[in-house]
Amino acid sequence: MKVSFNELQELSRKAFSGIGFDDGDANDAADVVAWMEAHGLGGIAALKKGLDFLLTEDKTQPPELVYQDADLCVVDAHHKTVLGHASLAIEMGYAKCRARGLSVTKIRHCHNRMLIVGYLSRIARRDMSVTAFWRNSHEPLTEILVSFKSGDAEPEICMYSLPATPDDTEPNDGITLVMVNHVNLLPDLKPDAPLNDLLRQDRHAMASWHERSLVEGIDVDTDLWGRLKILATRMLVAASDDSRQGAGAGTNDND
Amino acid sequence: MFSAISASALNNLRPASEVMKLERLGSMFASRLSFVRSLMRKMITEQWQIRNTVFDLDSAGHGLAVYRITTPANCYHCVIFSRDLAPELRSDRVIAEAWDVTFALVEGEVEDSLLEQMAANVPLQEAGRQHPRVLVLSRANKSLRNFSQFAAALAAGQQPDPAWLTAVGYLYRTTAVYGNGKFGMADFARLERNSDFNRPFAVQMLAVYVLRQFSIDQLNYLAKVKSPEQAVPLHPELQRYLGVGNSTGLGMAPFLINHPQLIQQWVYGRERALASARKEPANARTHSKLRELMARALKHLQQTRTEDKDQTLRNQETIGSVAEVVNWLDRTAAHPTLYEELISWAREHCSLEAQELINTMLIELYPELLDGLEDELGCRESMELQPDMKARQLRDLITDKFGWALSYRENCPEDNYWFWYRSAEKEEPRLGIRANESGAEKEAALAIGPRISRCHAKLESFLERSPSAMVVEFLMAHPEQKECVRRIQTLGETPYGEIRANLWHRDMKPMHLLRTKLSFFGASRFDPKSDRWVRITLFQGAPLAFELNSPQRSPEQLDDWGFPLEPHLDSGEIGETSQGEAP
Repeated sequence: MKVSFNELQELSRKAFSGIGFDDGDANDAADVVAWMEAHGLGGIAALKKGLDFLLTEDKTQPPELVYQDADLCVVDAHHKTVLGHASLAIEMGYAKCRARGLSVTKIRHCHNRMLIVGYLSRIARRDMSVTAFWRNSHEPLTEILVSFKSGDAEPEICMYSLPATPDDTEPNDGITLVMVNHVNLLPDLKPDAPLNDLLRQDRHAMASWHERSLVEGIDVDTDLWGRLKILATRMLVAASDDSRQGAGAGTNDND
Repeated sequence: MFSAISASALNNLRPASEVMKLERLGSMFASRLSFVRSLMRKMITEQWQIRNTVFDLDSAGHGLAVYRITTPANCYHCVIFSRDLAPELRSDRVIAEAWDVTFALVEGEVEDSLLEQMAANVPLQEAGRQHPRVLVLSRANKSLRNFSQFAAALAAGQQPDPAWLTAVGYLYRTTAVYGNGKFGMADFARLERNSDFNRPFAVQMLAVYVLRQFSIDQLNYLAKVKSPEQAVPLHPELQRYLGVGNSTGLGMAPFLINHPQLIQQWVYGRERALASARKEPANARTHSKLRELMARALKHLQQTRTEDKDQTLRNQETIGSVAEVVNWLDRTAAHPTLYEELISWAREHCSLEAQELINTMLIELYPELLDGLEDELGCRESMELQPDMKARQLRDLITDKFGWALSYRENCPEDNYWFWYRSAEKEEPRLGIRANESGAEKEAALAIGPRISRCHAKLESFLERSPSAMVVEFLMAHPEQKECVRRIQTLGETPYGEIRANLWHRDMKPMHLLRTKLSFFGASRFDPKSDRWVRITLFQGAPLAFELNSPQRSPEQLDDWGFPLEPHLDSGEIGETSQGEAP
């Protein structure tokens, strides 16, 4: 079925609230999913993939700051989705970069990493260049590089698989973010790099996708839409005769 | 679209401590900057055309009507479905499932396939799925008494008594006007680049305006069906005096609270207009014009009817105050500082409503000062964190700009009396008493004052341990405060910021919230039906569709339709049956 951007954002927000997200996280997560989907980056598919996980994870435990100095911080997300409190780890990197010109932020043990792109677009709009890097530790080993130029709403994304997997590769479920205040860090592949399955998405393609989403609407999976609707109802109060008085109006308006 | 403006270019803006109090916001009137006035002005200036292209109604007035709207650059269509509605189903609440008419405004042409899709979905309203080219979806119910009286009078060759329209100024009242992506419709982001509708709620107001034209056309048609030989069309003066009603409730409140940057921008626009007007030296011409406007408003208010006791008292108090203002103007000669003197005098002697009415009229005196302001009432809404702000700066910001919120008392029942929530019944917004009703654990976070107060308390405690910390470190310790902090930082930079009220407090009046928003829409004839439910009228007195392209009246004359008065018709034109019964 087709839905509008606003509809996707609004229902997602209500569903995240129903799942138990705090207001701020529910708003951010909904913005991220809708932004990703409207830019052709699979926000809905990522949400669908992670929804069962989201329903069972402990929302009360915030990410833990395990190390920080003036321009580096390491945050342990405790195997949770980036849709939750990962935004604060990013904001920590942003704050350090503002003070030092460059910062490195490592978020360890997190899931749904692609969704972080949606929040990074907000950081870029706040005049910060940001690059995210992570590896998917499955065969073949894939590296993903997402780079936002300061002030741009859309990133350059580069995804490729490596020709061989190093023997000592550990499971990799973290993200490294580099933020810089005064220059841009854009992906610039080495001309002789032996990269397979190269996938590049540039910001013009994403902007076009966004435009198309506004004109034609956004395709959503009907089952997922149904699940989100059910989750959203968790924040609704059951009707009763008393509650019907709470709207302050009668039920018949013949005059 | 403009970003929320953070600095004031004018030094005589009224302080937020005065303007943003809920009681004062709830005393405001429609003004030149209100959305219906602004839209009409644009339609007049650009000579928009509104033409009926399909009028396929049966003898009961049920069927399909389509209106084509042509602007200098684009065309749109308003598609209206009129159906029979059993009286027991006629409800203005969002929980209703059927209406007298349902309608939608579409971008571009309406092909057969789109019309078919709309016929299947527009009448369903919230339960339907709308096409991405649909910009507005709405529905309306009839005022049965007006409709039957008017149709009977016209069929008898007589005009209905204007007093009927003074009592209830419409034939239809809308019960919801949806836009911005609801139910599959076009997102507002699409309209941002469309100069026809990039002002707040412009497209929704256009749909309501077209319904007004339909109500006139349908009425004339029904009279003609009833008595083909004898029927006369509604007198143009009465057509102009006919508006569209709107019935609305607590749904206005979540919008006001969830769009604080937009509301601040509306208030800031109005206050800049007022500040500019106040800087102008009064002269004999403006003194005379002000007196004329106040006298018209006085008569309009004297003609305003409501059954609500509280509103009746407020109206009487305002009428008394406005009469005194007119007297004051009669006995005070024009001099350069007249406006300041009047405002100062009114502060001591007049009701809040009368004070705000004076401000509305001062804005009316200087249309040239508003050029450009009405294009700055929108803003790109985005609340961003400033994570590197020092936590102690955040505390100081709260103390400085949000001190009003710190009077909240956690353990005081009066301060925690109400809770806001959405019902499982079509998500209707409702208000519950915390001590008596269940559901508070699911309440909507609309009470910003208590949230800020709680955030401040946590911040004080955090600063004792970490006096040099940044805001992001405070949030790592208290992640649930992220939204509140983001809001404080964003709104703290704006001239007006938040509505200053504890929306949980027992004495909080939801009606003030409703009126705040409705005044910016341009509503008149404020008629509360309970403490949280109100009927108003839009476009009463506004130029008619055919007048948008008529050279007989100047744009300035066409634009001068605020605070409309009951028209006088020759007694021979008014039908005897309705004349004696008019309320």
